[in-house]
Amino acid sequence: MLENLQYIFAPQIINGLSIGVAVILMALGLTIIFGLLDVINMSHGEFYAAGAFLSVSLMSIGISFWWTLILVPLLLIPFGILMQELLIKKVFHHKDRHILTLLLTFGVATILEDLYKIIWGANTAKPATPITGASEVLGVMFPNYRLFLMVFGVALIFAVWLLIYKTAIGSIVRAATLDRDMSASLGIPVNKVYALTFAFGVALAALSGVLLAPIYSVFPTMGKDFILMAFAVVIVGGLGSIKGAVIAGILLTQLQSLSSLYISPVWSDPIVFAVMVLVLMFKPSGLYAGMKNG
Amino acid sequence: MDKYQQKAIRMMEWLMLIAAILLVIIGKLTGDTFFLRLATEALIFGGLALSVDLLLGIVGLLSLGQALYFGFGAYLSAVILRDWIASFWVCIVIVTFASAILGWITSYIALRSKGVYFALISFGLAQVFAKSIYNTRSLGASDGMVGVPIIRIPLPFVTLNLGDAVTFFVITFMFMGSIYFALKYFLYTPLGRIWAGVRSNDSRLPYLGYNTAAPKRIAFILAAIVAGVSGALYPMLRGFVSPELMYFSVSGNAVITVVLGGVGTLIGPLFGSSLLMILKSVIGTLTLHHHIVIGLIFVVLVIFAPKGIVGILSTKLKNRGVR
Repeated sequence: MLENLQYIFAPQIINGLSIGVAVILMALGLTIIFGLLDVINMSHGEFYAAGAFLSVSLMSIGISFWWTLILVPLLLIPFGILMQELLIKKVFHHKDRHILTLLLTFGVATILEDLYKIIWGANTAKPATPITGASEVLGVMFPNYRLFLMVFGVALIFAVWLLIYKTAIGSIVRAATLDRDMSASLGIPVNKVYALTFAFGVALAALSGVLLAPIYSVFPTMGKDFILMAFAVVIVGGLGSIKGAVIAGILLTQLQSLSSLYISPVWSDPIVFAVMVLVLMFKPSGLYAGMKNG
Repeated sequence: MDKYQQKAIRMMEWLMLIAAILLVIIGKLTGDTFFLRLATEALIFGGLALSVDLLLGIVGLLSLGQALYFGFGAYLSAVILRDWIASFWVCIVIVTFASAILGWITSYIALRSKGVYFALISFGLAQVFAKSIYNTRSLGASDGMVGVPIIRIPLPFVTLNLGDAVTFFVITFMFMGSIYFALKYFLYTPLGRIWAGVRSNDSRLPYLGYNTAAPKRIAFILAAIVAGVSGALYPMLRGFVSPELMYFSVSGNAVITVVLGGVGTLIGPLFGSSLLMILKSVIGTLTLHHHIVIGLIFVVLVIFAPKGIVGILSTKLKNRGVR
């Protein structure tokens, strides 16, 4: 029984956690963008792919992985600002804003995916793991990089939470979410806040791309597969909620990795989405909807 | 819907008819069936777009998973035709009823929510379905099913052979035409009026004494049927089905088609689908990366002409009328 726990469940749980942390990072960007701007960013997966590709390219010209971890998100921030200012803002005041922004970001995703094929080719790349070796946890060996990913990811998630709920910047963002006009009349530069928040979400997606590139392969449609999971997490957790994204992220990735012990792993995706549909049926707005709930 | 928009729609209906007649004549004369087959496929995907428009443009529900019903129809049709009975009518009747039942069941899941949540739940449902088909070995798993026979339709005096491109095109055109006019007829019934009410203000309608749940459910089921029977034609044309038919790209493409043609116009999706097919094949001959061009056109359309081709055309007509 105990051996069962140690050699079968524990590795699966820890593997699930390392994927979960990455998924939560993706989901955080999505949920922040939705919480503030009311925009479902269908191109989020493509920004994740952009992060991975840029990281690979930068490393190939001799920049170390650790620098790309900082550089890549910074590189994508202007892109996020431009996208908000040039595209999303144009349809922002339209009656069918939800649908139009969803369509707009979907169009951008289509363009970007093809663009990656032109720039980087359709082949897969796999960067070298920046931290090699493995350590023993609970009597089982784990790759060091995965352990690093978990620690770094948890710290990052916590930092994002602190930023949004415990700092002045965060309260400005939340105020703009709550009442746009009121915040504007109090002197908050709402448009700037919107653009920067969108860029922040994009940067988070790119960062998870950089972090996951050494584990998964890098290819033009990599965003497509991963974004589905992130969407499921955001939906189950409740659009706009950070706490929800974290809880749902852990729940769903654990479900995915533990269910693969009993049934064929190919069925874990349908199960995750079935859970998502079930949650939506009984709690249509997810577990914790809205930014005010933390 | 103003006078000019109606006029624009009428013009596009005639345009579709003329284009179809021209295609048939050219096909008959030259014997070149490539474009006819392409046009048939455009119409089939136009049917899927039509069902998206019924939900989005008429009732105001954005479905990101309409490919579920399309793929369901396609798979069911492939199974019936290949393994059971190679009859067009049996296949269409069964697919109609089965899609209606699937639509009815899933409506209880999807219609619990509205707005963005409806879009996401429809997307999730399609994902579950697509991945399950992908994993089912008896349905060909990731390879799909091949070897769907060529169908003959016996009529009182002649037997139509769907292996003939011209015949298949004419049948599909008439098929989509009847679906189009049937849906258009619905718009002028009391039910259609309630749909319009649901679209403009879902929460006020109950205060006026109308039940909105049933009309929405009917629209959802109708959309499932339209997507299902359109899908049923697919294996007859191509001879195979694959799980890609249910993927998000198919649902997303249908939404693009609707926006391109004109949301809420019904002719827009059919027109848009044909136009998109032309665009794809023209740009496809010039460059491998036609997605960039399509994506760019789409982004520009959403920003500058969210009402699509019908919108552009009716503005043109209006300006001419003023002069």
